Amino acid sequence: MTTINGDQASPKASAATKSSTARVPPPETSEAVQTRFRVIAAFWAVIVLLGFPIWWKTTSIYRAHLPIQEMVDWDEGKICRPVFPLEIHVAAPAMQISESQHLLRTTQHSLDDFNEFAAHHLRLKLANDTSASNANGDQTAETEHEAAEERADIALTVRVLPQDDLTAPRSEIHADATQLDVFYPPNQVPLPSSSNPPLSAFIAQELQGLYSEEKATIAHILSGETAGSDSESISRRLRRSMKYADTYHLSFSLFTPGPVPSSWDIEAAVKEYLTPLLDAFAPISNFTVDTQVQLYATFSPMAPPPVYDEAETAWTLKKEDLSAFINAAEWPLNPSIGSGPTLNFVLYVPAPSQSPMLVKENRASSWIVPQWGGVSLLNPPLSEELSPSNPKHLTQESLRPAFMTFSHQLLTLLGTPATPSSLPLRLQTLIRVRAATLLLSASSTMGSLARLTESLPSIPIPATVASSVSTTLTHLGTTCSSLRDGRFAAALASARVAETEAERSFFEKSMVGQVYFPDEHKVAVYLPLLGPIGVPLIVGLLKEVKRLIAGRKARAGA
Amino acid sequence: MTLLFRFLQLLSLLLLASAVTAEHTSNWAVLVSTSRFWFNYRHLANVLSLYRTVKRLGIPDSQIILMLPDDMACNPRNAFPGTVYSNADRAVDLYGDNIEVDYRGYEVTVENFIRLLTDRLDEDVPRSKRLGSDAGSNVLVYMTGHGGDQFLKFQDAEEIGAWDLADAFNQMWEKKRYHELLFMIDTCQANTMYTHFYSPNIVATGSSELDQSSYSHHADNDVGVAVIDRWTYYVLEFLETQVTSANSKLTLGDLFDSYDESKIHSQPGVRWDLFPGGEPEGRLRTVVDFFGNVQNVEVENANATDPGSLKEDLAEIARLVEKWQRRDEEYSAIFNISASQPSKKSQSSSVHLAPKKTVGPTRMTDESSWAKRLVGISVVGACTAIWVAGSYLGRSVA
Repeated sequence: MTTINGDQASPKASAATKSSTARVPPPETSEAVQTRFRVIAAFWAVIVLLGFPIWWKTTSIYRAHLPIQEMVDWDEGKICRPVFPLEIHVAAPAMQISESQHLLRTTQHSLDDFNEFAAHHLRLKLANDTSASNANGDQTAETEHEAAEERADIALTVRVLPQDDLTAPRSEIHADATQLDVFYPPNQVPLPSSSNPPLSAFIAQELQGLYSEEKATIAHILSGETAGSDSESISRRLRRSMKYADTYHLSFSLFTPGPVPSSWDIEAAVKEYLTPLLDAFAPISNFTVDTQVQLYATFSPMAPPPVYDEAETAWTLKKEDLSAFINAAEWPLNPSIGSGPTLNFVLYVPAPSQSPMLVKENRASSWIVPQWGGVSLLNPPLSEELSPSNPKHLTQESLRPAFMTFSHQLLTLLGTPATPSSLPLRLQTLIRVRAATLLLSASSTMGSLARLTESLPSIPIPATVASSVSTTLTHLGTTCSSLRDGRFAAALASARVAETEAERSFFEKSMVGQVYFPDEHKVAVYLPLLGPIGVPLIVGLLKEVKRLIAGRKARAGA
Repeated sequence: MTLLFRFLQLLSLLLLASAVTAEHTSNWAVLVSTSRFWFNYRHLANVLSLYRTVKRLGIPDSQIILMLPDDMACNPRNAFPGTVYSNADRAVDLYGDNIEVDYRGYEVTVENFIRLLTDRLDEDVPRSKRLGSDAGSNVLVYMTGHGGDQFLKFQDAEEIGAWDLADAFNQMWEKKRYHELLFMIDTCQANTMYTHFYSPNIVATGSSELDQSSYSHHADNDVGVAVIDRWTYYVLEFLETQVTSANSKLTLGDLFDSYDESKIHSQPGVRWDLFPGGEPEGRLRTVVDFFGNVQNVEVENANATDPGSLKEDLAEIARLVEKWQRRDEEYSAIFNISASQPSKKSQSSSVHLAPKKTVGPTRMTDESSWAKRLVGISVVGACTAIWVAGSYLGRSVA
């Protein structure tokens, strides 16, 4: 039915089209033209006034303004040249004021002659004796107190004392205070006429010796390259030490291959042997501590087993095999507690059948794994009841050597310099070294962030980043000026803030550049959407423009 | 003469520089499979085989980031539940009893991968899920999945472009998050993935050229699917048979020379130009520089007495401990005196030191919960009132 109908319909339709081509269509009324014009204008108005701004707004990426130039300048070291003026107080209670002033002047003179690294220099100052006698007490508390008072930290107090039975001056460093005692024979009191008395030369040489390693370290950090003879040991030490962190996590683990010892007096041992050291580190970093006991901890099957050495009557491990000692695959280390990096300290009690255990080459019982932690072997006396066995419980006293070793390893891993032989002085040196490191690392993070924002135009930069950056820059400025004034504890404090904020700004969560689209992809996204809408709109616009032009021409012709 | 001297100076400087750059202090591995579903069994097996190898060569779990988008071991179609094999002989169960998957299932996304590389993660993301590498770390990045020209598909839902990967590596380089990086990828048209890299110190290698497919090696008839890809199979064959210990001296050059196109059935590629010194220098890097773990253990000599040695330090620490004990005693003495004086006046029995306080759980936010509850109650109350009023009014109209 329908096909017949269709057949009948088609000639009619073709006839109609033929007749329509013959005839001219009725002219459009001017209202219809007007309406069409208005419709097209309305569509375009919506597109231009509404659609386009919305598209612009929604696809644009918020990029907060960053002081790019300043950030780059910090990175290139144009803004701050870190200097380390160390203030050293000299007290000479037995001398006349004029004599001690002369001594000071000549010593300072010969110090300046020695010094070839200008960023690090020693400034001598005459102390009245009362403050000097205070200074050898609790030094850390005092330096903090003085930092608050906007005065330079006293790096060292030199007491120059006469001693009768001496032929040449000698010096003695206090191991538990920042004090150097210099004893001199009374006949060597410098005469006001002599320009370079032996006593001041001696003092200058001593001071130079005390700070030579620190000077080399700071020069190494600032220049970023190796120079000088002892650079190898310095760069080795810097490589060995952990990256600076605000908080370190210390993990103490007791590993043993058998069922005993199953308990240790760890709480008392940490409190007794470690807490003083951690307290001394308080201005530099914070620490959290956890402990664990792991029984039946076996070596990894790949590790070479210890060998019995007849001569030593001990089981020995070869030095080159020590890197395989930690069974990384099976021992539960790195507990990833807290936010800071973990330092692992492993106390290994060998099985009774393999006790005592030592390192073959030098009979040592401990070693450091750079940037990871330390290992100490503990060989407790075996009890001989039925068969030799380890004690069930390790007392605080038996843990003492191991914990002393751990303390030493901690010092090394945190980058404490080896000289001078006074712990407070070494910690002060560490404060300066860390301040310099943080200053450089925060500056370089600023530079990285600046380059990143330039090179990746597609990542957003939220306002929090801008505020972090400005905090960083102000704290960098504070650090720099504190260093210049010789207030190193304050410098480290603001450098810590700068570093934290710089890291926060660089690692801002929302700055993830995964929005890169190649141009083909953009076309592929927009074309299916805009094509069907765009074609009638543009054709309509063109037709209307054509009509308007034609109309104007016709009017002009008329 | 001066010229010769200059030259010598330059030479020594160069030697020194190369000695310094050759050092790295830690090793990290990022092993990523990007495809789901049972028929992609081989991609997980690829990754797990490599995971086993780097662990064998000494990288601890804490320095391996393993991303597995699916769990083949527990798939209901697995005829050998709880196991994954990469070979039809089923000699080694890759799943074993000691594997640590850091990102699994739907956590394996392009976003998470890029966040991992650039460390743009929430503060509360645990360290085991972070790439903690630094300026001294050698990083191995291995990816496998289904890919095409300059992209790699993640989980059927999204894809990572070669540009994004290049930008992510550049951000790592800017923030000094690697020392040297070895990028390996096994997918179709794999070599296109590293064409956009522009950061220095990267060696990149892939399994196949543009418009080439990467093929699977063989299927296990009992498992029912292909168990490993060809390129990965031959890389692993090299690693397992030649690199037998963590002290192996075989180089990357040896590894790349072992590629045999007739076996792999596609043309593997290597990109050297980003590496300082180019191919000749890069070929000298040992395989364990990237697949093993560096540990330059330092044994301390108990008898040495030079400054900074163990003995010296021990003496200093012992002194420090003594000093603190003295101070503690003094402090408690002072405290007892000052405490006992008022106690005489007030006639109270005795004053003890405050017992050690254990730190309790801390509140996560400072906001008072009561205010929030009040707001909640009032909102619920208002809604109820509106509802009651509406139903009442509605009834009255009806």
